[in-house]
Amino acid sequence: MISFENVSFQYTGEQECLKNINLTVNDGDVVLVCGPSGCGKSTLVRCVNGLIPHFYRGELTGTVTVNGTCVAQTTLRKISRHVGTVFQNPRSQFFNVDTTSELAFGCENFGLPPEEIEQRINSVVNRHEIGYLMDRSIFRLSGGEKQKIACASIAVEPVDVIILDEPSANLDYQGIRELQKMIAAWKEDHKTVLIAEHRIAYLFPYITRALLMKDGGIVREYSADEIRELSEEKLHSLGLRAEQAEDPSEIRIDTDMRRGNTDTLVLSNMKYSYRKEKPVFDIPRMEIPAGEIVGIVGANGAGKSTFLRCLCGMEKSCKATLKVGDELWNNKQRRRNLYLVMQDVNHQLFTDSVLEEVMISQENENREEALEILRSLDLEAYADKHPLALSGGQKQRVAVASAIASGRNVILFDEPTSGLDYSHMLQVSELLKKLRENGRTVILVTHDTELIKTACTYIIPFAGIKHGEKKEMII
Amino acid sequence: MEYRLDRNVHSLLDPRTKLLLLFTSSVFVVGNAGERWMVVFYWILVYLPVLLLLVEKEWVTAAVAGAIYVGCYFAQRALQHDLTAVESALALLLYVITKILPTVILARYIVRTTKVSEFLTAMRRMHVTDKLTIPISVIFRFFPTVAEESRSINDAMRMRGIEMGAKKATEAVEYRLVPLIASCSIIGEELSAAAMTRGLDVGKKRSCIWNIRFGWFDRIIMALCAACFIWWGIGRFYV
Amino acid sequence: MESNRLNAKDLINVGIYTAICAVLCCAIAMTGVIPIMMVLLVVFVPILTGIPYMMFLTKVKKFGMILILNILMGLLMWVTGMSYYALIVGTIAGLLAELIFRAGKYNSKWHGIIAYAVSGLYCWANYFGIFFNADAYFSTRQNFGQEYIDAVTKMLPTWMCPVLFVVDLVCGIIGGWIGTKVLKKHFTKAGIA
Repeated sequence: MISFENVSFQYTGEQECLKNINLTVNDGDVVLVCGPSGCGKSTLVRCVNGLIPHFYRGELTGTVTVNGTCVAQTTLRKISRHVGTVFQNPRSQFFNVDTTSELAFGCENFGLPPEEIEQRINSVVNRHEIGYLMDRSIFRLSGGEKQKIACASIAVEPVDVIILDEPSANLDYQGIRELQKMIAAWKEDHKTVLIAEHRIAYLFPYITRALLMKDGGIVREYSADEIRELSEEKLHSLGLRAEQAEDPSEIRIDTDMRRGNTDTLVLSNMKYSYRKEKPVFDIPRMEIPAGEIVGIVGANGAGKSTFLRCLCGMEKSCKATLKVGDELWNNKQRRRNLYLVMQDVNHQLFTDSVLEEVMISQENENREEALEILRSLDLEAYADKHPLALSGGQKQRVAVASAIASGRNVILFDEPTSGLDYSHMLQVSELLKKLRENGRTVILVTHDTELIKTACTYIIPFAGIKHGEKKEMII
Repeated sequence: MEYRLDRNVHSLLDPRTKLLLLFTSSVFVVGNAGERWMVVFYWILVYLPVLLLLVEKEWVTAAVAGAIYVGCYFAQRALQHDLTAVESALALLLYVITKILPTVILARYIVRTTKVSEFLTAMRRMHVTDKLTIPISVIFRFFPTVAEESRSINDAMRMRGIEMGAKKATEAVEYRLVPLIASCSIIGEELSAAAMTRGLDVGKKRSCIWNIRFGWFDRIIMALCAACFIWWGIGRFYV
Repeated sequence: MESNRLNAKDLINVGIYTAICAVLCCAIAMTGVIPIMMVLLVVFVPILTGIPYMMFLTKVKKFGMILILNILMGLLMWVTGMSYYALIVGTIAGLLAELIFRAGKYNSKWHGIIAYAVSGLYCWANYFGIFFNADAYFSTRQNFGQEYIDAVTKMLPTWMCPVLFVVDLVCGIIGGWIGTKVLKKHFTKAGIA
């Protein structure tokens, strides 16, 4: 049992983040904690797994108890025997380099006998059919596979409370299916599960309660049936994502939006293989409509991100060409003329102010013009701020601003909405539309069905070439 | 198909043997202790990592390393007259390769084949404090991350066309280092949080699913290392 | 709650920044093939590693972290073929740096810069082989070619030893100072330090 009594929390140097929370979660409950970003849902679950107050510094008042133990008065190690956590970012939650050791890691830290750990691992691996992921390097797994390992490694631990902190942020449709199975198994085992999320529809079959948070407080509690009944509009107005688990390649999009002009960018000879292995993809010819928003959709691990890297000329071994009007661009020209907004935008922001960031991209530095670009993207107020200090969506806009400043007309996005709530997703969607209105071609790789529905004018299903067959991808 | 964990899956050697070998190699190959006196052991220690690669079925790496050693050996023999500037730079490069490469291959072999958990347990048995072993295991876990991050940053710089535009050397350094440190720092924070919610702590007893024990090969390698030091001692103090 | 014992988070931080510093050192050391660069390593290493190091110091609030980082750097240097002097000097220097930084209550800027300069002395220790035992040092490095050896020994007579010591310290201070500048310009402004 988990209970919160008059709990408030404030991160050192920031505004109050949790305000007077009172909550009791019974054993075997599967509780969804939802709300727009910044509502305090992650902070709430951190009080349960002990990261607050033992890891993140701040001022905590009130008491949180888990199975009768007061979290603040014990150690993280002791709490971790009862509570297991799956985090959002699959890249940073592994301590080991190989998957099998990662599964054993928690139990080893508790000093359980090796024979018992062995049994636990065998039963979890067989139950979830992840034998094919064992004894592999963490660095060679896709995002979805990593998240599966993260869940499995918690399942191996003898914990009775499981916390999921935005676990679906980096998952595609298939990955979410797998996550659902995991949660179903936990429910069956009568574990207490707490999930902080804003993509919520995929959780409906499993939850027993849902808490809606806003500005650090719990504003409403729904039963499982009540929240399922909420309309899409209602969910959106609460800042929640309403996307159903559906296959993005089967989405019908509104074709009326299309311009109907016949200009196309023609991509030829797009072939890439990782270190002489079987080709990841092999696309002899692909036509991309110019001046539109084109969504490239497909499963995690199909090579979509690599496709984007090749498309903007960053893989030497890929000899593709892109025909734009009368010009034929090779790798180097594509590097100069296409702009990729990376999934981790932090990698592409270099300077100490937003304005500077835009100005280094200009052919000839021109402050007025740079400010004009910032104004058009609602970034003027942040001109002097450090790019890394901005929110994720703002960082993306800074990257786009620098793309515009460098005069590029084809802009690529890699998963621009992973982990964003509804209003932030809409902002991205507006941004894409604005780019299109200005005559730019936008190509994005995404598995976000809501983004596809609101923004994309074309969809290209991207299957990768798993079995070596060649595919003409023409729309 | 049912999965069964094999707790004996590990490389040929015990982590402790591997470290002893690394130590010996850094004394006699890189440090070149004993010089001519040790020449037989020197060559054994140079080629041993190649054998270890073969055992791990890393055919290509082993073949390349072997070819480099042989090539360097003959090239060095050819370069034993008075050298011009270019030749001496080349000789230096060869020297660095023959000295450093065996140990680098060995270190890479150790990192690739030693599981974090095995390493922590083996070190614990040797009474090495967690205060050294936890950071060391993080370093090994983190080298690939640093490489991954800096590759992405490099890509971004190339795409934005500022790798050439960095007229000032300071900017080139700043643009590379700042995002790298920022993102490593964030990853590090998240890694610590994740590891601590899974019960990692300093100085607490932990178990290990991998069976760690000395086998025949361990004894052979340890005997070899001991022989190196004894032979060196003989040469140093009695001859 | 705020105990002075090092916890897993501190040790993981040590590991991460050691990895970054080691990668940087390694990248810089590659240039040591050119004779003049071999001597200039003592300039470039302290100046460049100052940036991650100053970021590291913002995480240091307890005794032992600087010392461990230095021991690990020393170990890495030794294994990659510098000399064990780096480990010995690095350990002593790390202890001194630790005391200096502690004297500044773990948040003084200038204590931090000086602690960095002192802890960076393992770089200077790498030249000991040349100073104390030049004949032996080069007898094992005949393959460098006589010209390289002449070039390096000409630049490094024994009296250069204290000079390099001073150079290392001064460059350490410069590097630390640059580090604090970058810290202020970027990481503090971005809110991640």
